[in-house]
Amino acid sequence: MIRLVKKDLKLFFGNKQDMLLTFALPIIFITLFAYVFRETNNSEEGDLVSLVHAVAGTSVFMLLFSVAGIGGSLLDEKQEGMLKKLLCSPIPPDYILFGKLVFANIISIIQLIVMFIYAWLVFGLDIMHHLPSLILMIFATAFACTGFGVVLASFAKTRQQVQGFSSIVILVMSGIGGSMIPIFIMPEIMQKIAVFTVNYWGIQGIYDIFWKLVPLADITFLSKVFVLLCIGTFLNFVALLMFRRNILKMV
Amino acid sequence: MINVSSLKKSFDTADALKGISFNIPQGECYGLLGPNGAGKTTTISILSTLIEPDNGEVTIAGYDLKKNPLDCKKNIGVVTQELALYNEFSAYDNLIFWGGMYKIPGKELEKLIDETLNLLGLTDRKNDKVRTYSGGMKRRINIASALLHKPAILLMDEPTVGIDPQSRNLIFEVVEKLHNEGTTIIYTTHYMEEAERLCDRIGILDNGEIIAQGTMEELKTLGSMKESVVVSFNNLTDKHFNIIEKVWKDLQRFEDTIHFYSMNIQGDLSKIIIMCNEFGLDILHIDIQKINLETIFLSLTGKKLRDK
Repeated sequence: MIRLVKKDLKLFFGNKQDMLLTFALPIIFITLFAYVFRETNNSEEGDLVSLVHAVAGTSVFMLLFSVAGIGGSLLDEKQEGMLKKLLCSPIPPDYILFGKLVFANIISIIQLIVMFIYAWLVFGLDIMHHLPSLILMIFATAFACTGFGVVLASFAKTRQQVQGFSSIVILVMSGIGGSMIPIFIMPEIMQKIAVFTVNYWGIQGIYDIFWKLVPLADITFLSKVFVLLCIGTFLNFVALLMFRRNILKMV
Repeated sequence: MINVSSLKKSFDTADALKGISFNIPQGECYGLLGPNGAGKTTTISILSTLIEPDNGEVTIAGYDLKKNPLDCKKNIGVVTQELALYNEFSAYDNLIFWGGMYKIPGKELEKLIDETLNLLGLTDRKNDKVRTYSGGMKRRINIASALLHKPAILLMDEPTVGIDPQSRNLIFEVVEKLHNEGTTIIYTTHYMEEAERLCDRIGILDNGEIIAQGTMEELKTLGSMKESVVVSFNNLTDKHFNIIEKVWKDLQRFEDTIHFYSMNIQGDLSKIIIMCNEFGLDILHIDIQKINLETIFLSLTGKKLRDK
């Protein structure tokens, strides 16, 4: 499995387009949103909320696109015959999916780290005083989003289908979940619907860390981590079932 | 080495394999010959554990395919029809990856890669990215990746599709070398020349059934195999054919071509030409067809092996 992960990492870091989409594009979006939201506020607290929202909303939103792309690479491998050849080698078939999930988690974690470091360096987001909470939230969000991306891919037959389908689902989910418009200014009914999205829990967790300054051991914060881990576990399990049912059968 | 018994597989309503059986002893090169859709790839897919059969028994190197798929996989190398290579990796890195899948230790793997690249004539280009390779070179790397773990059994699914003559010959030489070294090989193809050249025994597959199997000599003795004179005409009509059929009983028509079967081809050739001239037929082309897999297949199925 380690070899599969190493291979994917080597392919990823050798592909300029993937690097651009995963790291450069989210930075551009954070910069854009941070300035747009800041312009709408005049107070110091408003500035902080705007920045936290720009970072939280954009990071989860862009992360979902990245992991959907990684999930799609599984379909590329199927179309190009790589999956078939991997299945001929003496490794348990499930390892192929586990390898992809581990790879997607690593990329997701790196992507989130890069985005928070950028927000720290450019906008002065105080990540150093909240490092343990932030690390926990990064891991939980990456885990949940990765499961979501691979599940999306497992419903499709080709990379093109994943791209079309996932774009719609991610945009709708991000809209409802508060990636674009902050949840706290949405109507009450929308706030209730938002809890069914990955974005909501990731964004609320980041609010807790940087805006509401909730301590790491606080149940409010830990409950969000717990929900994200539950979502991730459930989605990874669904991804495994779908992989066995759809992708392996299509070889 | 490989025992296949009453193997059946259906996809939706179509029967891909209708209960095929064959045994391949160690060191034999067995050819599976048949047209597209005959069931060759399905057979290879089952043997390489990619799909499960609906019915039947398969043992590979003494292991039951259903009970011990991983042990079976360790003993086989699969050359897939698809060029399953990472184009952004060099040939060397591709082989490092695929060798790693068989848990070959680092130093040994490096040695094996050098040997395999040398065998397939790709040492000079080993550090170039695979995307810069020609189709034939990619095919050779595809084969190399299946040989690294020195499998006792090699399953080759149409390994020469769409390649240049130079690469094709090199692949033939590699297959012959492996065969001489005692590797058991199943080679699927719809090119009869390949099967004739490389295989000890041949199984002819059509519509999911093995309709005949044996050595080339054994296959030649099947049924009433005869040599033929193949004559193509410019102006062949049904009327002409009906008249010829009355004179020459043993023949078959394929559009503008007639196959005249004969037990004494040299003696009958002039008779056939004179007869055609007498009936006012304009001869376009004449060919003498010896008994080969193409004619055997035609005789057994009434169909041509390949759509021309």
